[in-house]
Amino acid sequence: MDFFKSGLKTVLGAPEPGQLPSGAETVERLVDRVNNSTLLEDRRDACRALKAMSRKYRVEVGAQGIDTLKQVLELDRADNETINYALDTLNNIMSPSQFEEEEDNPHVPMNIGEQFTEMFIKDPHNIQLLLDLLDEYDFRVRLSAVQLLTSLLTNRTKDIQEIILVKPMGVSKMMDLLGDTREVIRNETLLLLIKLTKGNANIQKIVAFENAFDRLFEIVSSEGYSDGGIIVEDCLLLMLNLLKNNSSNINFFKEGSYIQKMLPMFNTPEDLEDIGWSPQKVSNVHCMLQIVRTLVSPSNSAQIISSCQKIMKNVGFLDALCNILMASGVPADILTETINTVGEVVRGDITNQDFIGNVMAPSNPPRPAIVVLLMSMVNEKQPFPLRCAVLYCFQCYLYHNELSQTSLVQTLLPSSTDVSSLTSGRLLCGGLFSADVLSNWFSAVALMHALVDNLGQKEQLLRVLLATNVGSTPVSLLHQCTLLLQQTTKLQSKVALLMLLCHWMSHCSAAVSAFLQVPGGIGYLVNQTCSNEHDENEYLLQGLSAFLLAICIHFNDDSVESYTKDALKQLLVKRIGVETFTAKLSEVSKHELYNKAAKHPQLRVKIPAEILIDYEFCRLFKVLEGVLINSISEKQEPDPSEDRQSPAADNLEQYKSLIRQQDARLQELMQQLDGLMQQNYALQSALNDSIASNSLLKDENTLLKAQVSAKLPSQSNQTNQSSQATPGQQTQASQATNPDRILEYENKLQFLNSEVTRLTAELKASEEAKKIFEEDLVKLKQGQDDLKKDQDDLLELLADQDMKINEYKMRLVSLGQTVEETQADTELNLT
Amino acid sequence: MAYAYLFKYIIIGDTGVGKSCLLLQFTDKRFQPVHDLTIGVEFGARMITIDGKQIKLQIWDTAGQEAFRSITRSYYRGAAGALLVYDITRRETFNHLTTWLEDARQHSNSNMVIMLIGNKSDLESRREVKKEEGEAFAREHGLVFMETSAKTAANVEEAFINTAKEIYEKIQEGVFDINNEANGIKIGPQHSTAGGAKAGGAGAGGAAGGGCC
Repeated sequence: MDFFKSGLKTVLGAPEPGQLPSGAETVERLVDRVNNSTLLEDRRDACRALKAMSRKYRVEVGAQGIDTLKQVLELDRADNETINYALDTLNNIMSPSQFEEEEDNPHVPMNIGEQFTEMFIKDPHNIQLLLDLLDEYDFRVRLSAVQLLTSLLTNRTKDIQEIILVKPMGVSKMMDLLGDTREVIRNETLLLLIKLTKGNANIQKIVAFENAFDRLFEIVSSEGYSDGGIIVEDCLLLMLNLLKNNSSNINFFKEGSYIQKMLPMFNTPEDLEDIGWSPQKVSNVHCMLQIVRTLVSPSNSAQIISSCQKIMKNVGFLDALCNILMASGVPADILTETINTVGEVVRGDITNQDFIGNVMAPSNPPRPAIVVLLMSMVNEKQPFPLRCAVLYCFQCYLYHNELSQTSLVQTLLPSSTDVSSLTSGRLLCGGLFSADVLSNWFSAVALMHALVDNLGQKEQLLRVLLATNVGSTPVSLLHQCTLLLQQTTKLQSKVALLMLLCHWMSHCSAAVSAFLQVPGGIGYLVNQTCSNEHDENEYLLQGLSAFLLAICIHFNDDSVESYTKDALKQLLVKRIGVETFTAKLSEVSKHELYNKAAKHPQLRVKIPAEILIDYEFCRLFKVLEGVLINSISEKQEPDPSEDRQSPAADNLEQYKSLIRQQDARLQELMQQLDGLMQQNYALQSALNDSIASNSLLKDENTLLKAQVSAKLPSQSNQTNQSSQATPGQQTQASQATNPDRILEYENKLQFLNSEVTRLTAELKASEEAKKIFEEDLVKLKQGQDDLKKDQDDLLELLADQDMKINEYKMRLVSLGQTVEETQADTELNLT
Repeated sequence: MAYAYLFKYIIIGDTGVGKSCLLLQFTDKRFQPVHDLTIGVEFGARMITIDGKQIKLQIWDTAGQEAFRSITRSYYRGAAGALLVYDITRRETFNHLTTWLEDARQHSNSNMVIMLIGNKSDLESRREVKKEEGEAFAREHGLVFMETSAKTAANVEEAFINTAKEIYEKIQEGVFDINNEANGIKIGPQHSTAGGAKAGGAGAGGAAGGGCC
């Protein structure tokens, strides 16, 4: 507080005596100072003071200073100290947690940090500012920037993830900080990355791409694997984030041989028992087991699961897990989680299941590990989660494995030789009839899993005989179960036995007839189904009884005289009624715990009371519910003998007809498709044709236009007019989008063009005529000239003749002759 | 599995050009005619041999859709090789190559080897981009070029392997800084200790694996 006061004094000057300024006023003056001071030192001091005030006066500093502080980040980049104060102040304002200083201040809203965060990220550029600051090497700046980003992410995870995702170097920059040699920064970066990767697959993939797994394993190994501190846990948490529900990253993890790198995590030193497990080691190993389970989780794709399982077996991972199982001094929760993990590592993989079946526990006498585990399951002194884990592990051991299912049933059969030794079958039978409800439930469900989809074992199990009392005749296991069902008053035992019987008798008519022979069995079921108690669990019991009753009818081979299929159906219709029966059946899937169980193969319960329904039973129920309702409600078959022969036959017939129908439909659709394809083809070719002719017309058009514009100036009046019209038409045509109009214009144009050609032709013709005339004229002129010449010549000749005549006249006159006649003769000659 | 080097690849190009199919053909040797749109980025891996050395290829197949562009940009920096794919039956995918190349050059390290791939070479009848055009584009921008068919597997192996060869040569020439993992290249665990670790790893099984590092 002293520092705070002195800081204020240096910045604000000494306060007036007796009158202290209020918090808001002080903040206002400080913000003013940051905004307006020209000296860097002043701004820095004001920032420092703001930082000091930001815890107690968070609302005031945030409301007035957030923009100013953003400016500082932008403009004062050169001064690390100022930047650092600004970052710390922002971090305080936006801190997700409440400060001690503000605890007694009722005016601070609970989510104040979130509100300021929202304001801050309205401009995504602000995030870029912070990302840029990550490049700053200065320790304080870098650290504060990382912390501020972490706070922002805590407050508005999704928004900030989206902003960072679109910054090409955003994630890369943060990943680079993992390599910072200053451990504080590295560790804070880890926390930042954990927040950043939460629930965002795209960011997870980028982080993995940036070599996250390598870096993290480097850190884990340098910190001493599971013996390391909380940093190891942080690394593992980040890995877990990267892998959870992210098949691409799981694939990368597997392909990158990182599974092998996890192995040293599970190395158990020899003297572990003496040292004990530190709480941190427990957390670390727990995280590691979570990672393993993420890789082989039943919700992954089958391909990923099986390849991960194979690798885990091959590199000795499964051995290491089994070592933990068998080691002493392992804390209970680690043991529980290891059992779950072993279960998922072997689930559905025959090699691994076989391996786990052959592991021997270091007990005296040596017993198979499976037997030792089952001993814990039916032991009511063991912790509840551990017992659940054993059941899950055992289920996984039996899952999709006829061999392990067979070998379990084998241990119950009379032929099994060694009576004294403890076997899994014996343990389960013991559990089934023990006084402990949970043991009943666990054992019944475990036994049920040996029968899942395995008709052979359903029949084999019918052979199991139990000696109830010394001297009395042995009864069959099925018989005993049915009796127990009627006797017990405990809900969980009843439900468990009903589930076991349902699985046992479904698809197995031998088991159905065995059940029908047990006195009181059917009567009990009918009574249960009819019962009218109003309670969620009672509804469930009624539903389960109805379900079992329907199984008795549907899978009945009529081998028991008094309870043939038809007789039972009649009984059901009369005593219960089809409507009521259907309603009761539907109650099962409405039960809360049914829905919980149906979600995941592993039982996820916290308290023993929540144990009621099993996952595999839900599967059976889902498959059979519809079939059974159909089979009960359908009318009597016209030919019951056929029906009797095989209950599956009509089913088969139904499917056949369905397939036939679908086939016909398919054919029909195919034909339709063909028709449509042809149509499509025809339309396509028509389109192509029209496109081609269109382009042809266009070409012609342009050609003609060019011709027209070239020819027109030399044409006669009439054609000139038409050439004046063409430019107008041209523009109109280019404007008109309507192809009809274009066509119209094209037609007009064509008409005009033909006119032009016609006129041109006429012109040519007339020109030719003119030429001929001219030629004629020339010829005529020539003729005329010739004639003129001739005339001239003749005139000349005439003149000559005249002269000669005159001469001759003169001579005649001189000779004394008359000249009249001769003149007339000459005239006559001339014409 | 021991390897001498590990190379990171990315596959980029327009949506629907067959990036995921190329990867599937290369890693699983199968063709899937109907493939969902890639969301973000998917991962695949395979081991190849070059010059007698085992080389592990880690391949990130990116979404071609514009909406994922900003996400896929984050992958350029850390990749040693990129397959830039177009579809020879769709001219526009070829036209967009310049944009892709600019993007890649801007965000990647300068040594990244880029292989230009004209995919769907089996659809010769629908071809819109001539092989010569692809060759010319590659020559102009200094890329390696190849036409492939993810359907018939033609040239698919070669495309991935030739890219690796190119990277390998660059390493031999000392162009790549192989100690900087941001380049998309990693030296394998066996490389540093030669043959000894290999024999040890084989003999003692998984437990010895940790010791040799």
